[in-house]
Amino acid sequence: MKKFYISIALLACLSMNSCKHNEWFERDPKSMITDDQLWNSPTLLTSLMANYYNRLPALHGLFNTGGMTEIDDAMWSGHRDQNWHNDFQFGDDYGRYWDYGFIRDINLSLENIEKLSVKLTSAQKRLFIAELRYIRAFVYFEMVKRMGGIPLVTTQLVYDFSGDPTPLQVPRAKEYEVYDFIFQEMEAIKEDLKDNNASKTRANKYAALALESRAMLYAASIAKYNNLMSSPISTPGGEVGIPAAMANSYYTKSLNASKEIISGPYALFNENADKGANFYDMLNKKTGSEVIFAKDFATGLKVHRFAYDNIIKSMTEDNESSSTISPSLSLVESFDYLDGSKGSLRNKDASGNYIAYTNVQDIFAHKDARLYGTVIYPGTAFKNNPVRIQAGVAVWTNGRYQLTSSPELGKNYDDGQVWTGFDGPKDDATDVSNTGFYIRKMVSDAPAASTRGTSAANWWPWFRLGEIYLNAAEASFELGQGEGLGYINSLRQRAGFPANSLSSLTMDIIRNERRVELAFEDHRYFDLKRWRMAHLVWDGSENDPNAVVWGLYGYRVIRPGHADNGKFIYERIRPSRFRRARFFRLANYYSSIDQTVLNNNPKIVRNPFQ
Amino acid sequence: MKLKFLMILTATASVFLAGCGYDNFNAPESSLSGRVVYDGKPVGVRNSGPQLELWQDGYPLRTKIPVYLNQDGTFSASLFDGRYKLVRMGDSPWLQQASDTIIVNVKGNTSVDVPVTPYFTITGNSFQKSGNTISARFVVNKIVPSANVEFVRLYLGKSILTDQVQRELRVDGNVGTLVFGQQSIIEGELPDNLKNLDYIYARIGIKSTASSEYLYTEIQKIALK
Repeated sequence: MKKFYISIALLACLSMNSCKHNEWFERDPKSMITDDQLWNSPTLLTSLMANYYNRLPALHGLFNTGGMTEIDDAMWSGHRDQNWHNDFQFGDDYGRYWDYGFIRDINLSLENIEKLSVKLTSAQKRLFIAELRYIRAFVYFEMVKRMGGIPLVTTQLVYDFSGDPTPLQVPRAKEYEVYDFIFQEMEAIKEDLKDNNASKTRANKYAALALESRAMLYAASIAKYNNLMSSPISTPGGEVGIPAAMANSYYTKSLNASKEIISGPYALFNENADKGANFYDMLNKKTGSEVIFAKDFATGLKVHRFAYDNIIKSMTEDNESSSTISPSLSLVESFDYLDGSKGSLRNKDASGNYIAYTNVQDIFAHKDARLYGTVIYPGTAFKNNPVRIQAGVAVWTNGRYQLTSSPELGKNYDDGQVWTGFDGPKDDATDVSNTGFYIRKMVSDAPAASTRGTSAANWWPWFRLGEIYLNAAEASFELGQGEGLGYINSLRQRAGFPANSLSSLTMDIIRNERRVELAFEDHRYFDLKRWRMAHLVWDGSENDPNAVVWGLYGYRVIRPGHADNGKFIYERIRPSRFRRARFFRLANYYSSIDQTVLNNNPKIVRNPFQ
Repeated sequence: MKLKFLMILTATASVFLAGCGYDNFNAPESSLSGRVVYDGKPVGVRNSGPQLELWQDGYPLRTKIPVYLNQDGTFSASLFDGRYKLVRMGDSPWLQQASDTIIVNVKGNTSVDVPVTPYFTITGNSFQKSGNTISARFVVNKIVPSANVEFVRLYLGKSILTDQVQRELRVDGNVGTLVFGQQSIIEGELPDNLKNLDYIYARIGIKSTASSEYLYTEIQKIALK
């Protein structure tokens, strides 16, 4: 009986496999995408591009809370385990960026689209290729501004197992060659990117021109200001340092690119009659046509925690972190008064006595509206709730003011009124401002944006028209042309200044405008570098108000019977958590190259001072 | 059962707790100490500012050992015995000699003087106090012919670590009228927070345009009372 079953089974096996349909066995793997599929499917290619767009680099940008507290615009008031942001020196490798993995991925994609994309239309191919070249130039720009001239690799480097790696060892290009490469690439692809002109999150023609405008301005100012130094920073082979004679042509290229954008479809954001709120809305809302190219975020899909890190103390929606970035007094003071005078805050008169103000915000009255849009200061509101910033009370005792703060935030003084507000500031405290200021710019006011569960979804602006105005103003000023004044005056008018508030420009005015307009947008570190001013501004000196982050604490006066009773006075303080003055050395103008890179490629020249 | 448990425990312990000779090294016991000198005299610098670099050939991992300097120009490093290359880095108050390495053989406690070529030196310095004024007299010598002076400065401070970064008072000397090889004077008025101290520290620093670091004189204690 057993034999019978076995023979039936054998018969079945032998007789029923005669099927000729082999394709039944050939199935597309579900865990793998083949080259053929990827390079011929616009959907898959778009999601590959999303990966590359997501990897676009920034130093202090992309909502990098820690990075933003490493220069003179702010200090770190968050958890103590990262207090090193307040106690460090720019190392020789600060800002090092050497991402040839990314460059290889892009080169590989470019070659494969050329070779394997047979089913795409030529228009689709052209657009993808242009976008890839845009991203590659963007990455090279980030590298050249931090490292100087780097190897320009535009094809895949494939090892042939011959035992000789020298064909893979590419030497560094000259610094200006990299900038020229960026210019040529942008000129070559800008028309191809036109199909993206409706998008703000994929590279379009104007994003290419904006990169050109910024990169050419950097090249021009390095050419000019490096050679004005008493000993210019350079290497004999030109890997670092651009000849001074090239400055004018770079400024011209930058200006031309800027003008082409300005005559394009963009306009300065002007949707809110309240100039301060308008400046905040410009980056917080995704409307208007100011932003040229941005990295977008979406709730539930891709979010960031900038609001969680930096929400003002009393409006925290989650536990633990808040209030991490504390803007500095020097940033607040760099915002001019609307009458055109310098922005220093008048907390004491000429003889050193406190000036008492009726309301806590009065000391900031008549300031550039961009201050409101960038910084939360006492007496303002966030999410329509008034902020509660007050450091303490000033009690008049024995002929002088005694400044006291409550041991806990939000307590009342003996007189039943506020002692220290819920928002501090409090010296030597965590998760509450140590300088008396909070950041408003780019901190989302959307519901639950500061919770870790929901998080924020406001976007990161790579390029916006405000910067292009400033680029155009700087380039035309350097070229001795007069049109720059109009660009700066339009920006100032948007910030609440009267029309034509300036009658002439200086480089100092342009530099200050860049600081206030573009604060926390990853510009200042690179701006000071290209003007060769970083080592003068951040000179490491503990007595220097630019190198040290200071704060301003407001106190309520208790002096019964005196006219100043109940008014507010302000004291400049050096926060005790801020430990070491910012110190930028000549060696920091170009980050050191990693030793493994030098070991692997003997053709790489070291940076100066390395 | 109990015996088996104990046996497993012993076996596990002997496997997990046994040391491996490949990744356990003794800490380096030798030390290299020395001074940065010019003309036989130590060169004063900012505390933990300028660096020297040590390199060792013959190992697959090639990376530098940074050596920081004390403000009197001395340094020390804990090392294994062996042959090292010492490099004088740029961005220091002396010439960069990156390719001109000094071979150092470390065996036990080794001491070495590192000769450098500063852009400038300061000699014959003295400090006098009269009333609330501190006057510093000194001679600046140019060593590197192509070098230019950016600043020459008098520093006064409360702490023995007084320099460009940490100081109470800084007075700039006039670079325009500075004559090399001849005596110069910088006078500084004591600020209020120094006036009533028992003593202060004083130092003169000079910076060439080619570097971000100053060369300093030896720190000098000045009694105020």
